[in-house]
Amino acid sequence: MSKAETQIQVIRTSLASEPIAVEEAIAAVGSERDGAVVSFSGVVRNHDGGKGVEQLRYSAHPIAEQVLREVVAALVQEKTGADSQSLRIWAAHRVGRLEIGDSALVCAVAAPHRQQAFEVCCELVDRIKAQVPIWKEQFFSDGTTEWVSSGG
Amino acid sequence: MLVRFFAAACAAAGVEEEDHPMPEGTSLETLLAAVLAVHRPEPPAGTAPLPRILQRCSFLRNQVALRDPTAGLGTSDVIDVLPPFAGG
Repeated sequence: MSKAETQIQVIRTSLASEPIAVEEAIAAVGSERDGAVVSFSGVVRNHDGGKGVEQLRYSAHPIAEQVLREVVAALVQEKTGADSQSLRIWAAHRVGRLEIGDSALVCAVAAPHRQQAFEVCCELVDRIKAQVPIWKEQFFSDGTTEWVSSGG
Repeated sequence: MLVRFFAAACAAAGVEEEDHPMPEGTSLETLLAAVLAVHRPEPPAGTAPLPRILQRCSFLRNQVALRDPTAGLGTSDVIDVLPPFAGG
């Protein structure tokens, strides 16, 4: 095993067509060596830009899951070092139709100390949003729809 | 050259993909001009017109990021049109 694999474990990276439970992510990353587990749920909210939102639909490019893996791998590579031992990472993104309250993106990071867990989880979420080819269509309460960030 | 449209670009183009018979070495710029020359129905409500969406798109050539709009393309290349990502 490489140094990265022994020090940092990527527990899961995937696209999911079924609901994602943050509890599953938290349980999967924790170990007896970890003093901190930081998790993030990106949740479908019922409003955007002053309009009521009924539901969202996420679609993904065929390479999205591969890109997600690469994003996590790159982060792992950068964080591997003396102070990064036993970092454990979990990340999953939903595709398909989501209702209000559903988790669209779930990440969890376990580390011996909280600062590193916070930092890596925050960075992980930012990079997934910026780099993974996933799109979001919003369905508003007034019957209109919108492709988020598409330039419309 | 096969052009595949995703998300808002697909909605605005009205098709998932279309073939543009262009000579070997055609640039992305020229290919996109041909894409924009196609007459299309009005996009559905909530979708911007294709020219506006294309301005903000990134592109893949055979599933690899294509950053040089002047680079010559092959006749069998597959060009993916990707609107800005909106995951999370």
